[in-house]
Amino acid sequence: MYELLLSGIANILQVQYLLPLLLGTFIGVIGGALPGVTIAMTVIVVLPFTFGLDPLQGLAAMTGVYVGGSAGGLITACLLGIPGTPSAIATTFDGFPMARKGEPGRAMWLGIWSSFFGGMLGGVFLIAATGPLAAIALEFGPWEFFALFVFALSMVAGLTGSSITKGLLSGALGLVVTIMGNDPVMGAPRLSLGIGFLEGGINFLPVLIGVFAFAQIMSDIEKMGPARPGQAAGPVPTLTVSHLKVIGEIIARPFLLLWTSFIGVLIGVLPAIGGSAASMLAYDQAKKFSRQPERFGTGAPEGIIASESSNNANVGGSLVTIMAFGIPGDIVTAVMLGAMTIHGIQSGPLFISQQPKLAYGIFAAYIVAHFLMVVIIALSARYMLRLTTVPKSVLIPIVLVLCVVGAYALNNTMANVYVLLVFGIIGYALVKFGFPLAPLILGVILGDQIEINLIRSIMTDSDPWLFLTRPISGGLIALSVASVIFALWQHRRYRKRSPQSDDDHADF
Amino acid sequence: MGRDGIAGLVCLATSLGLFAATIGLPEASLLVPIGPGFYPRIVLGITVLLSAILIVTDFAGRARRPAITAGVPANYRLVLITFSIIGIYIALLPSLGFRIATFAFVSVLQVALEPPRNRNNWLRVLIVAVVTTLITYLVFERYLSVLLPRGRWTDF
Repeated sequence: MYELLLSGIANILQVQYLLPLLLGTFIGVIGGALPGVTIAMTVIVVLPFTFGLDPLQGLAAMTGVYVGGSAGGLITACLLGIPGTPSAIATTFDGFPMARKGEPGRAMWLGIWSSFFGGMLGGVFLIAATGPLAAIALEFGPWEFFALFVFALSMVAGLTGSSITKGLLSGALGLVVTIMGNDPVMGAPRLSLGIGFLEGGINFLPVLIGVFAFAQIMSDIEKMGPARPGQAAGPVPTLTVSHLKVIGEIIARPFLLLWTSFIGVLIGVLPAIGGSAASMLAYDQAKKFSRQPERFGTGAPEGIIASESSNNANVGGSLVTIMAFGIPGDIVTAVMLGAMTIHGIQSGPLFISQQPKLAYGIFAAYIVAHFLMVVIIALSARYMLRLTTVPKSVLIPIVLVLCVVGAYALNNTMANVYVLLVFGIIGYALVKFGFPLAPLILGVILGDQIEINLIRSIMTDSDPWLFLTRPISGGLIALSVASVIFALWQHRRYRKRSPQSDDDHADF
Repeated sequence: MGRDGIAGLVCLATSLGLFAATIGLPEASLLVPIGPGFYPRIVLGITVLLSAILIVTDFAGRARRPAITAGVPANYRLVLITFSIIGIYIALLPSLGFRIATFAFVSVLQVALEPPRNRNNWLRVLIVAVVTTLITYLVFERYLSVLLPRGRWTDF
């Protein structure tokens, strides 16, 4: 395993792979630092540029975006008090007060080094767990895969959004998208509504880009007005700091670092919960375990360490799920899955054994990206602050053009661009009606696999009870039911506690 | 009817419409025990059920739903304008060609989102439009072998 990893690192250090990784990490840091631009949006923008590259170049660039974006958000969080990405929200709680107390360099570097160490711990898990988990998944029959995908979908539907019915309906609507087009057994045209293009089925990438990017951009536009000029950046503070001292501060709290990184990994493994939940939960845990919880919120280093180590460890966890099971943990890994599909690579349990060069290339890219991230932020942090003054009226048209090019370049046809627009409208409407988008996207991605495995299992043995009597399959179906019941209980409790709440927030 | 009720009705109508469309599909045979309509009917059955639950809970919850408090008013006019501009851009892309359409789109959308107030603003709009068009065109056509649409009307 370690020989493969070392050769993966040697491979990724070649200019042809290092350059896309460096560019990806750099763009990730920028996207992460820009308030209002999420990591997912950044990876969507980068996607079309990867079509012409070889698979490892493209995936290295995306891994770079993921790692860079997870850390980039801390720059504005610490120095301006504005989280660059949702996963840096918890970083502002203590990062900004520390910066305001005259220690901006310490706040930022505590964040950067915590991201680095958290990410590395996530990497250890990624490398150690992917192979064994994939080996377990290799034992799965179609019953188990069907149950696993249903479990992932029901868990996401239950955990995102504030209405379980809407979460489940959103996931089911995602499945509806996949039933259009030729059926997988007989190849009979199905529900193509007389549109020739639909006979081949709907590609999930334009759906994903349309639903996600449009919903977010339009939600931003809603808040725009004619006379709201961008904020002028103040003078950039000095960020010089003793790195050894900052690293010492982090290493001196090994339990905190390990525990919050573990939370990050765990949340990353669970589909569609995401870095923001990981960092919030880790922050909360750090506060609970602290002997002086009252210091939190006033510039406590533990707060920054918890938030930043967990959100980078989260990336490692997310990559495990996609590499071992082929289930994307969030939008970024969903886009990575799409990129693999374009290159004809099947993700899932066979991925690591059939494509060891690519799998270990991703591991290596993940590790190297953390070093690049530290260097990039060290060199560019003060300029990143200037970038926050770029008005949205400039960013939005550029992002939209790249979304259109991304959809078009999939197979050089306008049809995918029309799909993009239609699903852009649907995505925005869903957000306005209070539907979470994550289950829809997961439904679109997993729909074909759910159908194929369902049919395969019934064709192998027509006894439907096998779904429940086979231990792993039965266990996963029980977990699916339990996750829905748990979500129902949680929503009921939440509503009792705050009856005035309204579910008007968009969930990306 | 509340927001959830409307959403539920739309989903219900769509699901029922698609369900009806599965009726003409070939049935299962001896060779293939599952017909192409089997799985779609399960999925659409689930969406019908969930839509119905959404409508029912909307009606049931009406009495105790508090009035929605007004926050910052959303600028829906600008959202509508943006969607229209994107729609026109996508519709005209094959006719005008990528370069002309993209230049026009980036310019017009910038103006719509933040109307320029002075010469510098106008200059920025033009520069952003030209640079975006040129860079995307050059990068995709020259280096990434993506053939962006040529204009049917303009041949450019």
